Amino acid sequence: MNCVELQASLAELEDGSGAERSPAQQAHLETCPECSALVAELNLIAASAIELRAADEPSPRVWNSIEIALRQEGLIRPQRANRSLLPSLSSRWAWARWMVPAAAVLLIAVGIYVRQNSLAEQLARDTAPAAVVSDPEIAGLNDADLLQEVAQLSPAMQAQYTDNLRHVNQYIQDAKGVVAANPNDEEARRSLLEAYQEKAMLFELAMDRSLP
Amino acid sequence: MSGRTIQLAVVGAMLAGTLIAETQAAEIHKDYHFTVGPKAGVSVNNPYGSISVKPSTGGIVVINAVLASDKVEVDNNLVGNRVEIQSHLLAGADAQSGRVDYEILVPADASITLHSSTGPLRAEKLHGDVTLEGSAATVEIRDITSAHVHVKTLNGPVTLTNVQDGHVEIDSLSGEVTLNGVTGPLVQVISTSGGINYIGDFGDRGEYRLTSHSGDIEATVPDSTSADVSARSVRGEVHDDIPLQPKAHTWFVIKEGSAFWGTMGRAAVSSTVVLRSFSGKIHLRKRTSK
Repeated sequence: MNCVELQASLAELEDGSGAERSPAQQAHLETCPECSALVAELNLIAASAIELRAADEPSPRVWNSIEIALRQEGLIRPQRANRSLLPSLSSRWAWARWMVPAAAVLLIAVGIYVRQNSLAEQLARDTAPAAVVSDPEIAGLNDADLLQEVAQLSPAMQAQYTDNLRHVNQYIQDAKGVVAANPNDEEARRSLLEAYQEKAMLFELAMDRSLP
Repeated sequence: MSGRTIQLAVVGAMLAGTLIAETQAAEIHKDYHFTVGPKAGVSVNNPYGSISVKPSTGGIVVINAVLASDKVEVDNNLVGNRVEIQSHLLAGADAQSGRVDYEILVPADASITLHSSTGPLRAEKLHGDVTLEGSAATVEIRDITSAHVHVKTLNGPVTLTNVQDGHVEIDSLSGEVTLNGVTGPLVQVISTSGGINYIGDFGDRGEYRLTSHSGDIEATVPDSTSADVSARSVRGEVHDDIPLQPKAHTWFVIKEGSAFWGTMGRAAVSSTVVLRSFSGKIHLRKRTSK
């Protein structure tokens, strides 16, 4: 046993009395003056603590003063009220903070949908057609909200976003049409994913950190 | 020219000079220097204005910022091996008064991330990863080697020149994308309505995917190019000026005028090239020597 192992093992002892020491600890203490001195000091502290009366304990004001001093030194900080990883729902920009995760969910949902369609065709299963789920229902994306926020954030770019949104929605519709006509076409499915990727990027750019 | 005209011209010139001098006087110049280690990171977030990044000598990052007014500040921070720069707009700042133009020198192996709505964004002669994003920002990247290059724009044009051994991914909704001498294991461009123009030889053993919904796609290649090329446009036209060896087996219907698939050059060292459009034209043409 070395010094590090012995000092780590001290924490497991209720006190530093020799009665609980293992033979390995005892052997190390007999040969190591530093550890032996440390254990002696710990024993002294433990013994003194037992003798302290409750009346000797400092008043709450003392602890408060210590806490104030530590805060002023910056050694301890108050905990944040809200440390949730999820965006707040209560603030004005709450919808925007949810947009990136919503776009990610949309992409994942489309990927799963497209893949399931492909597998279903390949296996020639005679199953009922999948329920038609609109994009907003999938991820809560709302084009009107996006344009409204862009208009407030950067009115000069509203026309550009409106135009690009129209184009990307058409892209998605066209890609869906090709997938429906050629469900086994891997490239067509990839195009649909890319179309959704473009729309996700549009939303991402709209709430980009650099957008004034 | 009459004397009256000359007088007006002189007065006009003096007024213009005064205005320019006042504008220059309002500008604020800031310099920041940071010492960084190998493969440092540098990120710049600038709502209004240009960002240009070039290589420095040694392990230093030099930021030269020109602030249009006192309505914008530059927040700078060195966190570990990463330099973070943020143009901080103050109350009342707009596109003019909040503008900051950055000239930045970074170690050539540094990874950079640049954001600006207006741009332009420029990066050159680096071999660290390059990420550039901006809504309307013009993006120019040149002389980059062995790096990831990621670009996202809304309608800003994107031009990449001489990017070698790159992992290139470009997303642009309506900006024109031009790639000149860009090669690497992966070169991917996705555009919604912007055109894509590729000039080069597609390297060797790489995957090149150029996709646009309604934009035209044009690839101009030299005789020495070796590539498996497939091109399809759902509603647009497809033109091929280069004779290709047709594939014996295809997994999609080759409809004359809307698709082709074949090999050019030496198949053994060829790259894979996929050109896709819904309503745009696709044109594979041979580069004519001048």
